[in-house]
Amino acid sequence: MSAVLHAHPESGPALGIEEGKPRRVLSEAGMRGRWWRFVLILAITAVVLVPILVTVILAFTPGPNSTATGLTFENLSNVFSKTLAATWLKNSLITTLATVLVSVAVAAPAGYVLSRGRSKAVSGYSLLLFVMQSLPIITSVVPLFILFAGMGLVDNLMGLTIIYVGSTMTVATWMMAAYFDSIPISLEEASWIDGCSVFGSFTKVVLRNSLPGVLSTAIFAFLLAWNDYLVAIVFLRSNEIFTLPMGVQSFFQQNATDWTSVMALAVVMMLPPVIVFATLNKYFSVGGIGGSLAGR
Amino acid sequence: MSSTTAQSGLARARRGVAPGGSGTLPGKRKSKLSAQATRTFFWLLLPSVVLLVLIHGYPLVYAAVQATHDGNLLQTGNFIGGENFATVLTSPAFWKAAQFTLWFTIVGVFGSWLVGLGLALLLRTKIPAGNTFKVLLLLPWVVPIVVSSTAWNWLVATPDSLIPSMFRNLGLGTPLFLADPTLASITVMVFKVWVSFPFMMMMTSAALASVDETVYEAASMDGASRWQQFTQITLPLIARSTYISWILMTIFCVNDFPTIYLLTGGGPVSATTSLVVLAYRTVFQDFATGPGVAIAFLMTMTLVVISVILYRQIRKSSVE
Repeated sequence: MSAVLHAHPESGPALGIEEGKPRRVLSEAGMRGRWWRFVLILAITAVVLVPILVTVILAFTPGPNSTATGLTFENLSNVFSKTLAATWLKNSLITTLATVLVSVAVAAPAGYVLSRGRSKAVSGYSLLLFVMQSLPIITSVVPLFILFAGMGLVDNLMGLTIIYVGSTMTVATWMMAAYFDSIPISLEEASWIDGCSVFGSFTKVVLRNSLPGVLSTAIFAFLLAWNDYLVAIVFLRSNEIFTLPMGVQSFFQQNATDWTSVMALAVVMMLPPVIVFATLNKYFSVGGIGGSLAGR
Repeated sequence: MSSTTAQSGLARARRGVAPGGSGTLPGKRKSKLSAQATRTFFWLLLPSVVLLVLIHGYPLVYAAVQATHDGNLLQTGNFIGGENFATVLTSPAFWKAAQFTLWFTIVGVFGSWLVGLGLALLLRTKIPAGNTFKVLLLLPWVVPIVVSSTAWNWLVATPDSLIPSMFRNLGLGTPLFLADPTLASITVMVFKVWVSFPFMMMMTSAALASVDETVYEAASMDGASRWQQFTQITLPLIARSTYISWILMTIFCVNDFPTIYLLTGGGPVSATTSLVVLAYRTVFQDFATGPGVAIAFLMTMTLVVISVILYRQIRKSSVE
């Protein structure tokens, strides 16, 4: 870093003399600060990303029994041919997509009521949702385990989905309500005067203008369902019902961990959230309830 | 966010004309519409209420039943009153876990806040490729814990892992990051900060974006130093958002399971066992359902009280 400090006084005066204006000298100091901060943030980012880089590198490094050299897709193909990775991926995708769809379908209408309703009951419900989202899932997991065991919903993707929907809907409802707050009610009023029903104006006027809110909520539900481990470890028992988090963890139950295979599957698991994040970056809201609490 | 205050202002103004409210609609239509609105609202809310009762309400009530019975995962058992709570509250393991949870939460909240705040302030200035860094730095929050804990395990778990080897090569000995009780606690907390700082960075960045730059010009004309500007202007202006982010991170930390469980499993010798991990182990590994649920129930009650108080305060601060 001291190298950076020394580099500038050398190049600085030359430019300053060339221009010979105080304004230029000022921006020179600004430039130096900019590059300083650039180097600092570059160093921090590099350190922060080490675990992620390690995952990606190991995933494409030849395994202990491999004859391949350089980077290889061998681990990935091994994971899919020798383990149930394809099944786990399918299970995770089904559960997550179902959670996203049902969460939004439940949270959007409820969020609309929270945004437009002004009775005591509505604000009481809003408080109830806030309290429920702050409770540890472990409390409801044990009773639900017993309830679901009686209904054949343990070791079952449907049972898993129901719990995911239940645990996303509190925050999802808040997020939808916060978004609906930003849609002027004059749009609905105009449609009521045109003879539209309250429900009609909700679906035709409000929902139609709420794509960003719906996307943020969907991303939130997606991440929660895709990343969950606690509910999965309690409710899933058999290998072929595992979701990806359980699949990745199952590698550690063997005597010697095959790191390259674990990392190959880990890359498969982190790809969907990273892709969603990269493409829908601007709808990515701050941990769900953060944005909605700040906004409401 | 200036749009935030504008938004909540709008929301309040809007409530005046909401269906069922003292709207601007002509009288006859209004009452008809408001009756219709109430009915529609009921149906729109119904699925959400049903789910809330099924997934949150029923389990809470049943948890209260389990906590006061000597049953297991198959049957409820006999009513034993507060015995489970007595067992839990007199066990050293519970207090040790409570203590660890407290430290884990304090370090998790303020550690990630300080890192997030620092980075948000840094990224607020003009930096080449600043937006790229902003996106890259969010990755620890986006990547699943199962994946990042695996990577952290690979980096630190055994004496021959990458980071202990580096320490050894630098002549600093071989730290046992996950085998030494104290070091394992620190490692778990650092991992938590690594996972959580992007959340704090996002919250703070959003709040900073709404701070009017001209305030600083005025302050520096009055001779305020950089530090004074930061403590007297920046911090107070982002106070509400900071407060909310602390609250949420506290909830995230207290309820956290995978960050701890996947890195250390609660060990070594239960040094990193938090209350949630303890409740999980008590129920699903020791099969002591009553005491396990009692632990979860104690946490729940504490969090209900805390979150109701905090919710009121957030609401109050948004009205002011």
